Amino acid sequence: MGTIRYIFRRLGYGLILMVGVVVLNFLLIHAAPGDPAEVIAGEMGGITEQMMADIRARYGLDRPLPVQLGIYLANIARFDLGMSYYFDRPVSQLIGQRIWPTVLLVLTAQVIAIFLGVVMGVLASRRPNGPFSGFVSVFSTVGYAAPVFWTGLMLIILFSVIVPMFPVEGMSSARFRGGGFAYALNVAHHLVLPATTLAIIFLAQYARLSRASMIEVLGADYVRTARAKGLGEGPVIFRHALRNAVLPILTVAGIQFGNLISGALLVETVFNWPGMGRLAFDSVLRRDYPTLLGVLFCASGVVVLANLVTDLSYRLADPRIRTGGR
Amino acid sequence: MPLEKTDALMSLRDLKVEFDTRHGRVTALSGISLDVKPGETLGIVGESGCGKSITALAMMGLVPNPPGHVTGGSIHFQGEDITRARARRMRKLRGGEIAMIFQEPMTSLNPVFTVGDQITEAILLHQDVSRTQAEKQVVELLATVGIPEPAKRAQSYPHQLSGGMRQRVMIAMAISCRPKLLIADEPTTALDVTVQAQIFDLMRDIQREFGVAIVLITHDMGAIAEMTDRVAVMYAGRIIEQGTSDQILDNPLHPYTRGLIGCIPVLGREAAGAEALPPLAEIPGIVPPLHLLGEGCAFAERCQLADDHCRAQRPALEIPALQNGGHPVACHHAGITTRAELPA
Repeated sequence: MGTIRYIFRRLGYGLILMVGVVVLNFLLIHAAPGDPAEVIAGEMGGITEQMMADIRARYGLDRPLPVQLGIYLANIARFDLGMSYYFDRPVSQLIGQRIWPTVLLVLTAQVIAIFLGVVMGVLASRRPNGPFSGFVSVFSTVGYAAPVFWTGLMLIILFSVIVPMFPVEGMSSARFRGGGFAYALNVAHHLVLPATTLAIIFLAQYARLSRASMIEVLGADYVRTARAKGLGEGPVIFRHALRNAVLPILTVAGIQFGNLISGALLVETVFNWPGMGRLAFDSVLRRDYPTLLGVLFCASGVVVLANLVTDLSYRLADPRIRTGGR
Repeated sequence: MPLEKTDALMSLRDLKVEFDTRHGRVTALSGISLDVKPGETLGIVGESGCGKSITALAMMGLVPNPPGHVTGGSIHFQGEDITRARARRMRKLRGGEIAMIFQEPMTSLNPVFTVGDQITEAILLHQDVSRTQAEKQVVELLATVGIPEPAKRAQSYPHQLSGGMRQRVMIAMAISCRPKLLIADEPTTALDVTVQAQIFDLMRDIQREFGVAIVLITHDMGAIAEMTDRVAVMYAGRIIEQGTSDQILDNPLHPYTRGLIGCIPVLGREAAGAEALPPLAEIPGIVPPLHLLGEGCAFAERCQLADDHCRAQRPALEIPALQNGGHPVACHHAGITTRAELPA
């Protein structure tokens, strides 16, 4: 009962947050130098003043800024994200095509990062001063410090050039003809390198965090109780300790989701992945305001949703939150 | 040393436990010998850091390793040396034949499982019963340890219960498989005084009903007086005095034991007209760090009676030659209470 009300309250906050994001981005973009009409004119290979004025009038660029903002907000309320200046198609249509590759990439990376990170952290916590623990510490520092585009390029050199196991770019082979399962396999094959690249930064953080968290939990009194019961090491670690140790990891996973999406922008650019990140990148270069705003709007929606899912899973994992205790 | 034939349930002989620390390897227990007889209550008493909790963990085969190691001696449980038992055999004994309750009921239960699940887990581990049967046993056990609405409480998470209730849950879990030996490591230290009395009552009831032997580890001489049949007093990793509870309480021979007894507050001192009672005492100083122990008596630094002999040579645990009889004590001045009585 409490949970349903909680979800609606959180969605309400999320909506306010998203309006804030839209307003802020709208003002930031218009404060930045550059004029879309000039970019369009440049693409067309030079036009007259009259045509420039027509373009400005057509997209409402000649109105005062507050009016433009008002019109934009009113349109968004009707789920109308406007027309792309550059692609000359509805922004919602563009995003609708691009959002799924990004979601696929981000979720795959997140799952890899959490799973491998937790496994590495748990193994390292077994012998906090052992060699594997040292390896995890070094690996996570390097993985966290390395810029994502550099990691991506190194993986391309390693696994596409030196050992050609995976394709360099794209989401599926250009000449691929086939459907269903074969297509899914083809996409999965293309997904390996970008998802790994994106996962590595976050994997490092999860490994560090779960190592520290497990070391702490393994010293807890209830772990001693579990051993005193006569439980073997397997159930002690995976049932009693890990269940408690994942709680801080869940928190961080939710916070990191926004960073994951901005990381995806770089990865999509490096690997030519046809997602929202690429779309955002292209629309920045072309001063395509509606498209850029639409992408940011959708991304903030995804982050709000991801945080909600995190909070809900937290409630599921920790009865103290669910039942409102200490 | 060959094990003499005893009727003891558990026998510790010359048990030695060492820990690796940044000061090198230190000896936490140096030669502990103890017997626990079936159905009795043995008290182990001493200050923090004297080794009583390590003794309890050694009895469970749970000395944390690393950094701890059992480096000598034996622990026989029903004739079987459990210091040599395989991990698999130890898991069978732990929670099945030997159970333990801990000092901190607030943190000793896993916060993410219901208390019912945690007891059920112990039952399923040691008994050949179905989950439904185990859950039925849990409700009976919770009723046995005096938890109201046991069926409802089994569905509670630990944070929904008070400290006293949680300790009752721990006791229910400990007795769930009818152990022969129950080790209670300061079971009431973290609880209110009124709840302490209830928990002791419960432990006595359980002992009567199940015939379980109890090892009660405490720093509280009051608890010793109330609960135990026999007592071992520990100091700096050794037993320094051992006897029946009456012997220890009425005729303490070691100055440290006398100090501990002097620390029991007497309620209504003035009302009872007990001007004759000595004032509430304290033992000066602290237990010395284990890596700094020398050749002499470890208590010498804090002892009013200590002389050069005490500082040079450690007294052995033996029955002193006293007129009014005696019990094992490790003191060169056993039975002497003031400096004036010391031989010149």
